[in-house]
Amino acid sequence: MEFFERFAVPHPSFAIYASMVGIALTSLAIVVGLTYFKKWGYLWREWITTVDHKRIGIMYILAALIMLLRGLVDAVMLRAQLAIPDNTILDSQHYNEVFSAHGVIMIMFMAMPFLFGLMNIVTPLQIGARDVAFPRLNAISFWLFFMGAMLFNIAFVVGGAPDAGWTSYFPLASEEFSPSVGTNYYMMSLQLSGLGTLMTGINFLTTIFRMRAPGLKLMQLPMFTWAMLVTNVLIIAVFPLFAVALAFGAMDRMFGTQFFTIGNGGMDMMWANLFWVWGHPEVYILILPAFGIYSEIISTFARRNLYGYKSMVASMVAITILSLVVWAHHFYTMGQGVLANSIFSIATMAIAVPTGIKIFNWLATLRKGKIEFTTPMLWSLAFIPTFLIGGVTGVMLAMASADFQYHNTMFLVAHFHYTIIPGVVYAFIAGLIYWWPKMFGFMLNEKIGKVSFWLVAIFFNVTFFPMFITGLDGQARRMYTYSEETGFGPLNLIASIGAIGLALGFIVLAYNIYWSTRYMPRNIGSDPWNARSLEWSIPSPVPVYNFATLPHVKSSQAFWDAKTKGHNLFPDKVEEIHMPNNSGVPFIMCVIFFIGAFSLIFDMIPLAIASLIGVFACMAYRSFEANHDHGYHIHVKEIEETEERLRGANK
Amino acid sequence: MAQLFPKHHVMGFIFSLVLTVVAMAVVVYDLSYTAAMAILLITAFMQAGVQLVMFMHAGESEDKVTIYTNVIYMVFFAIVTILGTLLLFIWDM
Amino acid sequence: MKIDNSLPLEYSTEENRLKILGFWIFLAAEIALFATLFATYFAYQGRTGNGPGTEIFEITPVLINTFALLTSSFTIGLAVNAMRLGNKKAMLTFLGLTLALGLVFLGVEIKEFFTFVHEGATIQTSGYLSILFSTLGTHGAHVSLGFFWGLFIIIQVSKYGLTPHTANKAFIFSLYWHFLDVVWIFIFSFVYLKGMM
Repeated sequence: MEFFERFAVPHPSFAIYASMVGIALTSLAIVVGLTYFKKWGYLWREWITTVDHKRIGIMYILAALIMLLRGLVDAVMLRAQLAIPDNTILDSQHYNEVFSAHGVIMIMFMAMPFLFGLMNIVTPLQIGARDVAFPRLNAISFWLFFMGAMLFNIAFVVGGAPDAGWTSYFPLASEEFSPSVGTNYYMMSLQLSGLGTLMTGINFLTTIFRMRAPGLKLMQLPMFTWAMLVTNVLIIAVFPLFAVALAFGAMDRMFGTQFFTIGNGGMDMMWANLFWVWGHPEVYILILPAFGIYSEIISTFARRNLYGYKSMVASMVAITILSLVVWAHHFYTMGQGVLANSIFSIATMAIAVPTGIKIFNWLATLRKGKIEFTTPMLWSLAFIPTFLIGGVTGVMLAMASADFQYHNTMFLVAHFHYTIIPGVVYAFIAGLIYWWPKMFGFMLNEKIGKVSFWLVAIFFNVTFFPMFITGLDGQARRMYTYSEETGFGPLNLIASIGAIGLALGFIVLAYNIYWSTRYMPRNIGSDPWNARSLEWSIPSPVPVYNFATLPHVKSSQAFWDAKTKGHNLFPDKVEEIHMPNNSGVPFIMCVIFFIGAFSLIFDMIPLAIASLIGVFACMAYRSFEANHDHGYHIHVKEIEETEERLRGANK
Repeated sequence: MAQLFPKHHVMGFIFSLVLTVVAMAVVVYDLSYTAAMAILLITAFMQAGVQLVMFMHAGESEDKVTIYTNVIYMVFFAIVTILGTLLLFIWDM
Repeated sequence: MKIDNSLPLEYSTEENRLKILGFWIFLAAEIALFATLFATYFAYQGRTGNGPGTEIFEITPVLINTFALLTSSFTIGLAVNAMRLGNKKAMLTFLGLTLALGLVFLGVEIKEFFTFVHEGATIQTSGYLSILFSTLGTHGAHVSLGFFWGLFIIIQVSKYGLTPHTANKAFIFSLYWHFLDVVWIFIFSFVYLKGMM
């Protein structure tokens, strides 16, 4: 019995018990459903063992949408607690757990997989490739992310949730001040998904460098692919660093090392330092793909070539480099001298320059354009002014001396929600709607889509704008309640009402997916938006081999120029296509990773060692298997039949 | 047999041994901190260069521009991380 | 699978070329990993708490290790050279020699760790020793992993001969091994020599 006591929740409440029952019932329903409809084999063959970048991308997006829901529920709970002064819906411990979960889930398990989903689906299609460079590594990346996410999500029902914030600062996160296993969960789940992220970075850089279609030069890549290139360049720099920081933190908690302790030569602020050397580029890892998505959508629906292609690329590269040298602006108040703060302050403000260039380029693209107000375009247009508010308040925060006033207030919370929600969430929703027909072969309903857009766009401001004011008035972030005398009550109530509207907007979005899946027409052709890049030149949904013959590219708007000037993109004859085999090893290996991480969290060292050996056994197995695993071939006749079926029906 | 020991490999090996001995000077002689660090930096980066160019064939394939850019970028990031951390924790604390 | 015979075996297919470039990018990520360890190490120099500092270093084992790794880096270079000559036997000999030198390195390093612990310097003693052991340990773990990886490559080359597949693996392994040598040079210079100055 003593063995099982460690899995008990240290600070239970009715809500947690209800969630346990809910999780148990949902899992049971899934198992029964899969068995009843005899879908186990289908699930295993078509999805779990797949190495197809499009399917992996869809799984990423599905996971991201589920995590979006979870993060949203957390957010609504936070706003419910803060709606009125001295509220008692959540106690301080639960409030800590909920805001920690909200931050980690939204950044690591919602925004990151959403990014990888779109990257997986679109990048190979935009460069005219049949797959990514390492399809099996891609599957491992996905399953590592998935296992990390699941590990994080079981924390609040098994052993206790992390409660030290998404930044998990030491000494608060140390064994002494956070004695439950919650922070162990944080360390291990981020370690797993971070490992997957690093592999994705390597995989897509190799893909973009070496697998471009004949004639496609780097300076002709569509802007989305350029954004992916610089994003992955950032990933390979900072994720190894984060892995080290997480390992230090985990070792401090599990093995008694002295990295971030207060005595014995340890230095608690080193965690903050390492965290933000990773954390600041991380926010650019999220925002740069968004810039790419907006560039694609704005150019498509303004019906003009993107204004200033070269300056767009140059500014993205500049942002990449600058984002590596600004991290200390997250802790101006740590106690370092004026010189250090000045250097980081100036570097931070400098980022506003390339970002400004991008904003003006988008505006210049819109100028004289024949703008079509489709839903993806609406999200993109709403982004520009809203993000601008986030950017300008960012410059305010960048001034080191002024930051001593704003630091850790709701002003900061408002600032980063103003950058991340329009900058990242709007972009990913816009991208999802834009590329949805390419993934599934039907469009999402425009009318319902516009309802959800207006709900989110309006109530986003209702929710977060009041926080600028309460923040300047001195409301601290991460405080679970406030007294009536502070006068924060009315504005907080407005913010909470806004949160309901915001949640409603996302529910309408989910309803749109449901409605469109059932009722939208399937006969939409390969290019429903009249778009510009290569992914629109092949059937929707895309066949497994992507391109029957590789496209020959002459410009950065390859498909648009082919349409308007009548080039032949596909002059080659159909040949046999070589494809990689599916494999269950990535999934099995990642399940073993999950078991290993779980046993480390609960200090079960023998099982952890056994899991490590299991992981190496999977790698060794693959090493030998690769000598005679040559994949399979799709024959010419089969390709021609598929193309005839997919294109014929649509023409 | 001579084929198995190509000249530039042997030269590279001898060169790396010489550089190691030179680096040892900082322990053997009583040098100023600046001089010692200069010797260590120069010998270490030259060693890395020997490995990269002579042994790892970094420049032999069609991807050599990508490979060198990749390595230089990451060395830049490494220097930024190290100097930035030292600035925050030692030089300006 | 299209095989281009004008190139060395390890570059002969597109898949192989992808893997080599991918591995270079992975090595760049490894630079970032070790840079983090070094950054922390430099910041923690002197933060020894109640534990010992750099006086625990001894020059002899460090010199043996440096010589072992430099020589192993030389022999693996010769192994790749032999592989390009198509000389499977010489290649396997050089590979075996490399792994043997790797074992010498690991043996000396483990003994060194025991001496440290014996002198009261454990990973739990102070901030400085935590990062010292982590830096040396991360490099040592890489060498240990490399040892088994190399072993698998020896088995596969003897079993399947020199194919585009096995040659590619051996070449990538050589990149990894050279890289570990570079990392060791930095540890040797900036941890040991700087500490003993």
